[in-house]
Amino acid sequence: MQKSLEMMDQSGSNSYLIDEALWEKINERASGSANLCFQCGECTAVCPWGIVKEGSLKVRSILRGAQLGVEDWDKEIWLCTNCIQCQSYCPRGVQIGDIFQALRSLSWENREVEPGLPSMLWSIYWNDNPWSQPPSERFNWARGANIPEFDCQEHEFLLYIGCTSAFDNRLQKVAQALARVLTAFGVSFGCLGVNEPCCGESIKSVGHNPYFRETAESTARIFTSAGVRKLMTLSPHCYDVFKNHYRTVLQEESFEVFHYTQVLAELLENGKVSIPAGFIDRALENNYSWIDPDGVTITFQDPCYLGRRNNEFQAPRTLILGIPGINLIEMENHMQDGLCCGGGGGRMWLETPSGERFSDIRIKQALETGASILATACPFCLVCLEDSLNALGKKNLFVLDIAEIVDMAIGQSG
Amino acid sequence: MKSVVCVKVVPKSEEVRVDPETMSLIRDGVRSEINPPDMNALEMALNIKDRYGGQVNILSMGPPSFLPFLQAGVAMGADHIYLLSDLVLAGADTLATTYTLSKGIRRLGDIDLIFCGEESSDGATGQVPSGLAEWLQIRGLFLTTEMELDRNRLTARGRREVASGYQILEVPLPCVVSVKTACNEPRFMDYARKEWAFERERVTIWNAHDIDADPEFIGVEGSPTVVSGLAQAPTRERKRMFLEGSPLEIAGQIAEILQKNS
Amino acid sequence: MTLSLYDARSAADSIWVFLEQDRNSLTEISLELLAKGRQLADQVGWKLGGLILGIRNSELCSEAVAHGADEVWSAEHELLENFTIDAFSTITFEMIMEGKPGVLLFGATPDGRDLAGRLAVRLRTGLNADCTGLRLRPGTGELICDVSGFGGGVLALIEMGDHRPQIATIRPGVFSKTQPDWKRLGELIKFPVLLKAEDIQTRIVKKVSGEGVDLTQVSLIIAGGRGMGGDFGALQKLADILGGEVGATRPPVDDGYIERERQIGQTGVVCSPKIALCCGISGAFHFIVGVEKADIFIAINSDPSAPIFEHADYCVVGDVHTILPLIKEALQTRLAEEI
Repeated sequence: MQKSLEMMDQSGSNSYLIDEALWEKINERASGSANLCFQCGECTAVCPWGIVKEGSLKVRSILRGAQLGVEDWDKEIWLCTNCIQCQSYCPRGVQIGDIFQALRSLSWENREVEPGLPSMLWSIYWNDNPWSQPPSERFNWARGANIPEFDCQEHEFLLYIGCTSAFDNRLQKVAQALARVLTAFGVSFGCLGVNEPCCGESIKSVGHNPYFRETAESTARIFTSAGVRKLMTLSPHCYDVFKNHYRTVLQEESFEVFHYTQVLAELLENGKVSIPAGFIDRALENNYSWIDPDGVTITFQDPCYLGRRNNEFQAPRTLILGIPGINLIEMENHMQDGLCCGGGGGRMWLETPSGERFSDIRIKQALETGASILATACPFCLVCLEDSLNALGKKNLFVLDIAEIVDMAIGQSG
Repeated sequence: MKSVVCVKVVPKSEEVRVDPETMSLIRDGVRSEINPPDMNALEMALNIKDRYGGQVNILSMGPPSFLPFLQAGVAMGADHIYLLSDLVLAGADTLATTYTLSKGIRRLGDIDLIFCGEESSDGATGQVPSGLAEWLQIRGLFLTTEMELDRNRLTARGRREVASGYQILEVPLPCVVSVKTACNEPRFMDYARKEWAFERERVTIWNAHDIDADPEFIGVEGSPTVVSGLAQAPTRERKRMFLEGSPLEIAGQIAEILQKNS
Repeated sequence: MTLSLYDARSAADSIWVFLEQDRNSLTEISLELLAKGRQLADQVGWKLGGLILGIRNSELCSEAVAHGADEVWSAEHELLENFTIDAFSTITFEMIMEGKPGVLLFGATPDGRDLAGRLAVRLRTGLNADCTGLRLRPGTGELICDVSGFGGGVLALIEMGDHRPQIATIRPGVFSKTQPDWKRLGELIKFPVLLKAEDIQTRIVKKVSGEGVDLTQVSLIIAGGRGMGGDFGALQKLADILGGEVGATRPPVDDGYIERERQIGQTGVVCSPKIALCCGISGAFHFIVGVEKADIFIAINSDPSAPIFEHADYCVVGDVHTILPLIKEALQTRLAEEI
């Protein structure tokens, strides 16, 4: 670890050497954002790590190091899930997330990254997905489902499934449900199938900027040559990266990006579709025995990458409220204050010790609402929350993606 | 320290199909990758370079289409690629392959360490490291998970897992090191180096004549073994067979499977 | 065409097997090879020979004959106490040049592969590695080997023309050993050993037993999940009988029932054992990616809709606490029968 020299000065206290070159690098990569920080400490106070870990994540202290060009951070920069709770509270508008990413990018250059992350990048390099799954199996989720192959002349939307949902058994059900819902609502869409390229968000999330750029360029080229004009994602992570980080890669804004909840919410709001009242029947058929036939209570996990990062809190709620027989109840932390599930910032590929998982807290909050369904709109949230729920062993709560809930309400066989 | 890593570019196993009519492998449209164990070999070689300095060269036998894959190895930290590419080298079995690689290594000269992955995902003979050591008349550290050099750079010590624990073996240099699959995490490419790594100047292509190869020992000519039949194995899809019967019967079935295969 | 040091015409009508030893008896693979060698030899009327190198071979030689060898080539010397490629390749090469077998079999073990690879080059002959099947063509003595490649997706039949010996390494567990017949007679050939300590340049600096566990190097893994209720002792007993290791999903590791180095999955160990027996595991994706490369995947879970069954070859819907003891008993009975 190339730490700056520690020097004992005359009075016997430690001081640090400021590294100008380091300061320049951080300053450039974080676009000077660290200079705004006046060390109030709000960030450390609101970081979710403070709820689960003794001593929290010392965000303020890390920012100080970045501000001065003093290399005083270590593995703790990998704890960040990029939930930007800190950023939303920062009185100076410091782009704290960007600063952490800048520090991560430097760590890659020094080859000081958490184990498992180089393998994740190699997985994308050789397999076009971060899960080391065979690329030839990327479209297996669609077997028997008759999903149209995207044709820009025919289809309004490219439905972008994403690596995690394409390969994870549990999440494949969400992809299937969404496809059914879109079809039922007459949305014109197609998929790129086995040739769907990786969006590169997992690369961006761990701070490897050059490889992210390379991947994004390649993916953008594929979209351009396929004539993609409108793109709808299943995952808020893919949504965030396409919407906010492909701009630097594309020559021009060549496609519009939506999260699927936005597309469906708009249809509902315009009265173009309505959601049938089939949810309760379907739930009872599936042995959700705790469902109250007179009215189901649902609570909603705001995905950080859709909500706080992209200000989309309404679309998922419009959908939920559009389902007959559903009551929506909010958890203690919701909307702008939503509590991260712990999966962002590359943490799906890093181990979080038991007792330190945000999703454990979140499940407790969900149970406190008395809701019988915890709705998600993000594949990482779903996986993390279900995992925590299983660990607790509770049975009176079910975690479902909104697409699955709407699919059940429509009631077609799946 | 001058090292060589023998790297093979292989088709992705799950995509390979056999054409039942021609009884040969269908390679069209099949994705390729660096043989995964060779990535571990590269990492070990680069780790030695980090600790002791010197040069790491990639040696491979195959067509120029291998190059973009091998250049990823240079981006990781290797210095140069030597590609043995010639039609007469094709169709080589282990004997001819190890002969050819040994001629390439001799042409390079002054090599201290030769790293190989334990086996390759296509042929998986696992015989290249020992065959290579034999042609070169040097010792080997086999199925090594960690290694180091002595102070004077005259010997190498390697750790090798055995059934009930591990051994540390020591051999004089130069030596072959076969690297145990998955024993380390290959570093990702260094993007400060990547553009340089992918330049044509990092590559030297040699043909059979350049390495002074005896035509009797290379390619099909030099291969005693011959493939007389090729078939698609029953699909790799999981059987998903639900065992039936009483718990006792089922336990018996599982015991049989376990015993037969362990 | 490159020629081997001796060809089919000068080769003897014999199949030789390189026999490995462990704690003064022949290893399982050696016995399996003797059984297969005996079968092939009987089919074509050839002799079966065994090669034993060590420091005190007499019991091993008897064992080899009892398991089917017609002759045993035995080299005894203190420099042969431990396997070193230097000593073993020198002596076996001399034996082979003297006996000129038509076929030479090795177990595809670390030492076997090392030795076979060296000898194949020294003898300028062909080598078929990791074979799953062997056949001898009657009349010609040509060996046809079944070899799989591409992770098992492709099966090849490989032979060699005139080159001798025809060398093959065999995967352990492919062939079955037979019961010994202690009344069998065989010839003991004591092979002279002229080795000097300076010939051996591979030095064993250290030998350590039983330290830690590396699941990536293990061929049989018995993994337990939440459904085990913390009872990893049951899995350990099974692993001990079979010579495997115990692994786990994240929940039991979190709960402190088992060490983190045994956690299998995306954020744990990714392994590719020959067999994975998964007990009380539901089959979440981040676990599956750690064990999906197993050749044979067996799953036991009381929930018939557990996702793990999608990934298994053999599926058992049942209670692990009932089934595991029964498996242990069944194994112990089978192993007792073998002896």
